[in-house]
Amino acid sequence: MELNTIRDAFDRVAKKQKLSTSKSLEVIDQVGQVIEQALANIQSIQGPTSPADHKSILMELKTKLNAISPNNQLEGSQKELNTNLSKYQKTIEKYFNPDISKAYRNVDYDPHILNHIIVSHFYRVGLFDVADCLINEAGEPEVVSIKLRFRELHRILEAMRARDLKPALYWASTNRESLNHVGSNLELKLHRLQFVEILQSGTQGDALNYARTHLSPLAPLHMDEIQKLMGCLLWVGKLDKCPYSELFSENHWEKLAEELTRQFCSFLGQSYKSPLSVALAAGVEGLPTLIKLANVMAVKKQEWQAMKQLPVPVDLGKEFQFHSIFVCPVSREQGSEENPPMQLPCGHVLCKQSIMKLSKSSTRTFKCPYCPHEASVAQCKQLYF
Amino acid sequence: METLANGNNTAAAAGPTTAAAAIAAAAAAAAAPSSKLSQLAESLKLEHQFLRVPFENYKKTIRANHRIVEKEVSAVVSGVSDAADNGELSAVEQLNSLVSRLQGLKRKLEEGSRTEHLQAQRCRARLDHLESADADNLSEWSDTRLKRILVDYMLRMSYYDTAIKLAESSNIMDLVDIDVFNEAKKVIDALQNKEVAAALAWCTDNKSRLKKSKSKFEFQLRLQEFIELVRAENNLRAIAYARKHLAPWGATHMKELQRVMATLAFKSSTDCATYKVLFEPKQWDYLVDQFRQEFCKIYGMTFEPLLNIYLQAGLSALKTPFCYEDDCTKEDPLSQESFRKLAQPLPFSKQHHSKLVCYITKELMDTENPPLVLPNGYVYSTKALEEMAKKNNGKITCPRTGLVCNYSEVVKAYIS
Repeated sequence: MELNTIRDAFDRVAKKQKLSTSKSLEVIDQVGQVIEQALANIQSIQGPTSPADHKSILMELKTKLNAISPNNQLEGSQKELNTNLSKYQKTIEKYFNPDISKAYRNVDYDPHILNHIIVSHFYRVGLFDVADCLINEAGEPEVVSIKLRFRELHRILEAMRARDLKPALYWASTNRESLNHVGSNLELKLHRLQFVEILQSGTQGDALNYARTHLSPLAPLHMDEIQKLMGCLLWVGKLDKCPYSELFSENHWEKLAEELTRQFCSFLGQSYKSPLSVALAAGVEGLPTLIKLANVMAVKKQEWQAMKQLPVPVDLGKEFQFHSIFVCPVSREQGSEENPPMQLPCGHVLCKQSIMKLSKSSTRTFKCPYCPHEASVAQCKQLYF
Repeated sequence: METLANGNNTAAAAGPTTAAAAIAAAAAAAAAPSSKLSQLAESLKLEHQFLRVPFENYKKTIRANHRIVEKEVSAVVSGVSDAADNGELSAVEQLNSLVSRLQGLKRKLEEGSRTEHLQAQRCRARLDHLESADADNLSEWSDTRLKRILVDYMLRMSYYDTAIKLAESSNIMDLVDIDVFNEAKKVIDALQNKEVAAALAWCTDNKSRLKKSKSKFEFQLRLQEFIELVRAENNLRAIAYARKHLAPWGATHMKELQRVMATLAFKSSTDCATYKVLFEPKQWDYLVDQFRQEFCKIYGMTFEPLLNIYLQAGLSALKTPFCYEDDCTKEDPLSQESFRKLAQPLPFSKQHHSKLVCYITKELMDTENPPLVLPNGYVYSTKALEEMAKKNNGKITCPRTGLVCNYSEVVKAYIS
C-alpha cells in the first residue's frame, strides 16, 4: 500500500491550506492598513475640513485598494489549494477502491435479524451497555437468557484478569460432569493455577492445605500432575530453579481464559468466535475478489443478480474452512451424495462420474489420469470426509 | 498455467456467452498465492470511505471559510467605493465600521482555521490507523475494524446513541464519522417531523455539488411543500409558491411539475390514484431516503451500510450446501438460523480445488497433514490418526462408525 504517497499528497493539501489562511489574513491586514491610514489622514486635517479633501483621500484609498486587488490575491492562493485538494482526492481514488458496493446484491433483508445478530455479538464481547442501548433505540426484544449467560462468562473472565479464580473454579465444579464428558481437564488446570499462585505468594503450609482440600479429590484421574505439583513444594523460595518452572509461566492465565471461554460457549451451543466477526472477516477477505468479478461482469448486471453459484472461487484462509469440499480434478465438479469421491487402488481420488466416464460405464479397465496404474471400477472405493 | 485453465473451464460452465477470458483472468488473480500480508494490503484498499469522508468534511470547511473571506473582503472594497463616491461627511464613520468589520472577519477566520486544523488532524489519524495495521496486531486491528463498521451501521440506521456509546467505549471517536452524521440527523429529524426547512438549508449549503450531480432533491422538497399547501387548501399561496419555487425547474422536470400542479384541481381528498399517492405520508419517508442517498453521494460513502456489504460478501464466500446440514459445525456462522436467513438470497461459493477438513481435529488436510483412508473409506488427517495410534498401541477407532483397525492398515489418499 502506497500510504506514503497518500500521506505526502495530504501534507501538500494541509500546507496549502495553511498558506491560504495566512494569505487571507495578510490580505485582510493590508486592506485594514490602507483604510486605517486613510482614516488617520482624514483626521489629521486640521481646521475646517472641506469635502474636497475627504474626496481626494477617499479616491486615493480606492486606488490603493485597487492596486492591492484583494480578491485576486485570495483567488490565487485558493486556486493552488484547490489543485491540491483534487489531486489528493484522485490519489485516494487511485490507491483505494472507490466503490466497494459494486458486488452488492440488492436484496431485501429483515433489519431485525441483523439487529438481533449485533445484539448477540455485543453480549458475547461483553458490551452489555451498548447492547441495551441498541435494544432501546431499535426497539428490539431483549434476549435475556443469552445475556445472562454471557454476563456470567464475563464476570468469570474479569475476575481472572484480576487474578481471582474463584468464579472460574465455581463454574468448573458445577459443570464437572459436562467437562469430564468432553474429556476436558479444565478443573484440574484451574486448581493447578491456583496452587501455583499460592506457592508464589503464600506459604508452604497454605499451599499444602489447598492441595489437601482441592487437589486430592482429583487424584484418581490426574495422579501424575498432582505429583508434579507436590514436588514444587520443595522449591518454595527458589521456584525459578524448579524443574517444573514451566508451570509458573504467566501465559497460563491467558490460555486458561481462552479454554474456559471455548468450553463455556460450547456448552451454550454457541461457537467460540463471534459469528458476526467470523462472517465479517470472511467478507473482508472475499470482497476484493467479488469486486473484481463484478467489474468483469458489469455488462451483465442481471446475471450477477440472479446466479445461484459464484463463477469463480473466493479463496478464504484456513480459519474459514468449516466443511470438507471435494472437487474432482478431472470434471471439476464438487462431490455430492450422488457423485461421491472414489479412491483408485493407486491412491488417487476422482469423483464417481469421472470414473464411470473413464471406464466407459464400468465396461473396461482404465488408466489413472495421474499415474500409470490401471484400475477397474470394482477396485475403487467410496470415501467419506 | 493450471489455474488459468481452470478459470476457462468455469467460465464455460457458468454460461457459454460470458466473457470467458476476462473471468479467467479474474480467477487467476484471485487464486494467486496470497500471504496474510498481501491479503491485508488488499483489504486496506477497501477503506476508501474511511479516508474520503473526513476529507470531504475538511474540504467543505475550507471552502466555506474561504467563501466568507471573499464575501466580506468584497463587501469592504465596495464599501470603500461607496464612501468615495457619495460619502462626504459620514466617511469617517463608514471607514470605522469597515475596519471593525475586517477585525470581525479576522476573528472568524482564525476560528475557522482552528476547525480546519482539527479536521486535518482527523484525516491524518485515519492515515495513521491504516498504517498501523501489520501482522503483529492484526486481530486487534480487525476488532477495531468491526467496531468501526458497526458504528457506521448505527449511524446509517439513525441509532445515534448506540453509535456514540460504542465509539466512546471503544475509544475510536477519531475513526468514525459521528460529526458528519450529526449534520444528517438534523435534516432527517426535521423531515420526519414533516418540515423541509432544514433540508432546504442543507441544499443551499451544498448547492454547487448537488448541481454538479444533477440532483433534483431540492425540487422534490419544493414539490412536497407545494403539496402541503394544497392539502391545507391554501390555493393562492400554493400558486404563488409554484411560480417562485417550482417554475425554475420547469425546463428539466416539466412532467412532474405538471402532475403536481394538477393537484390544485383534485385536492387532497381525491381518489384518483395518480394524485392520491402524492398526499400520502410515505412521501416523507421517500424524501428521507432521497436525502440519505444525496448525503452519501456528497461524502463519497456507499449507499448501503458497510456492514451489509461486508456481511453479504462474507456469507457468499462461506455459503456451501454443507452449511445447511444438521451436523454443520457451530463455528460456521451459517449454522445459525439468523445467518442462514440473511444468506438465503445469495449465491453459493465455488471451489476449484478440494478443501478437506479433518473430522476429528477440524484442521485442514493438505500436503503437510495428508488425509488417510481407513479400510471402511472414512478419511481423517494424519495428525489425528497418529495421535490416536500413539495413545492406543497402534489401534484406530473410527469415531463415526466405531470400526477398529490398525494404524498400519490406513492408506494415503492423493487429492489433487
